[in-house]
Amino acid sequence: MTITLQDVLPSYFEESRRQQSEVWGKQLVFNKGEYIKIVAPSGSGKSSLTHFLYGMRNEYNGNLLYDKANLKSFTAEDFARYRKDHISIVFQDLRLFPEQTVRENLELKRQLNPFHPPEKITEMAERLGIGSKLSTKSRICSYGEQQRVAIIRSLLQPFDFLLLDEPFSHLDDNNSKKAMELMLEEAKARNAGILFADLERIDFFPWTRLYHL
Amino acid sequence: MALSFQPVKPLLQTGTNAWSRWFSYAGLGIGVLLLLCSIQMYINIQQLLGGDSPRKDGYDFISISKTITNETMGQLDKNLFTEADMKELGSKPFVEGVSPLLANNFRFQLSGGSLVPFVSDFFIESLDDSFIDTLPPSFKWQAGDDVVPIIIASDFLEIYNVFAPGYGLPQISEATATQLGLQLICYHPDGTRETFRGRVVALSDRVNSIIVPKNFLDWANGKFGTTKEVRASRLYVKTKDANNPDFLSFLQQKSYKVNKDKTKFGRVKQVLQGIFSGLGIFGVLVVVLALMLFSFYLQLMIARSKDNLQLLLVLGYSPNWLSKNVARRFIPVYILVVVCAVVLTQLMQWAFHHFAMFDREELTTPLHWSVFAVAAFLVVLSLVTNYRMVRRLLYKMV
Repeated sequence: MTITLQDVLPSYFEESRRQQSEVWGKQLVFNKGEYIKIVAPSGSGKSSLTHFLYGMRNEYNGNLLYDKANLKSFTAEDFARYRKDHISIVFQDLRLFPEQTVRENLELKRQLNPFHPPEKITEMAERLGIGSKLSTKSRICSYGEQQRVAIIRSLLQPFDFLLLDEPFSHLDDNNSKKAMELMLEEAKARNAGILFADLERIDFFPWTRLYHL
Repeated sequence: MALSFQPVKPLLQTGTNAWSRWFSYAGLGIGVLLLLCSIQMYINIQQLLGGDSPRKDGYDFISISKTITNETMGQLDKNLFTEADMKELGSKPFVEGVSPLLANNFRFQLSGGSLVPFVSDFFIESLDDSFIDTLPPSFKWQAGDDVVPIIIASDFLEIYNVFAPGYGLPQISEATATQLGLQLICYHPDGTRETFRGRVVALSDRVNSIIVPKNFLDWANGKFGTTKEVRASRLYVKTKDANNPDFLSFLQQKSYKVNKDKTKFGRVKQVLQGIFSGLGIFGVLVVVLALMLFSFYLQLMIARSKDNLQLLLVLGYSPNWLSKNVARRFIPVYILVVVCAVVLTQLMQWAFHHFAMFDREELTTPLHWSVFAVAAFLVVLSLVTNYRMVRRLLYKMV
């Protein structure tokens, strides 16, 4: 399983970005099992890149391929299968159902294509320190707690690649480390790749390739 | 394990506009009820008024003549049927056959002979055998035969029995009438006469005349008649349904006169069918309105739940699966609404049959199958329209 970037540049970026960036306008192939770190300051297109890769937006020139398939030719049903079986994401803006409890939020994702039994939800929540919040509506939770819910949610399905868009922006170092450990374990269990986009390098992410966006 | 809709259900925000939902259910119920009742009443009318005129082989036979007005009085051309008239009538899809009632064109008298000493100027007519309801095998005549078989209208016998006592004549039973020997007296133009023996072989409820075999009348008209041209003042029409509105309006348009008794049910039927067609159309309109109201409600629900639905799609829920399940949520309600309408229609039909029609045999208490078919069609129609609309809205969100 590979993700290929062929000369990709957001249509709202000027052409000069091709020269400055190690990702935009380049030919890149990410393989399953690789840990890719993408470091970029604000406004350089981290969220754009993860959204393009997840198939949520398509305002870009060039092509993005999942294996041999071009994401631009995917139908709505293709995207549903892609997101259910092959690719998972932690959004920067978290995107939880505010009126549902933490457990309901997690179960909504888990039941779609169960990789773990329901008990695993409790186990993971305990591990990240939000075990007591499982019955709380997610809108009541702090940003830090919500971020951990979003991280656990991304780990309840099978995937070949895990996309992380500033996943620790609301977490302290200690909690970030715990979350990173869990994600690495889960990625290993699936032999999956991780694409980690953040403002700065984070020491506890054992990247195999590093790019500046 | 199959994907469950249960955890998704609370994400659809329906709570705040429950009234509009219940209004649309009620509207749908009333519309469906009106529609189903109209269909059943329409069928009842067909069954009640469909088979009332005398029939042979499932056909109606009626006689028509041209309306004689003050303007056309005395103008044979305008009051008799021509070949062209018959052809035109015969070519209509609602007419299965036309036969002219041909009359004698010479002076003719009928006498009761010795048993019933009564002589009167009369007329005889002939008609295609296939138009006669009571046709015995003996109704045949060949040149040289002494006895001419006759079929007379039952009405004539009745009229005779009314005036016979006043003239000192014996009243006659139907059985005796068919044994009667009559004398047919035909006059040449010069006043000389020839007498034939006639025998009543049958009485007819349908044909209001005295009928002799066609070849006898042709022969007699040739022998005693003054003109060769054959024109009919009456036509017998064979039709699948004398109450067919197209047939009636054709007759009206041509100013043909028809036995009102035979078609009066047709007029009543026309009016009743009109009323129930109107009610049916009104029912359809109410159904359409209710479906529209319901689709607004659905659109509102989807607009309110847009963020949640969008997030579900982002998480990897299939838009097709979601549309199916959102639409499927309303199956029980739709079925309940339509079943209630069917039950009420059945109740109406039972009351109509039992109390208004006193259990007449032409009707049945159970509803006609087409009512059930329409009910099932309406359930499917509402589900399909909902599914398509939800699907369209969801695909827009992807």
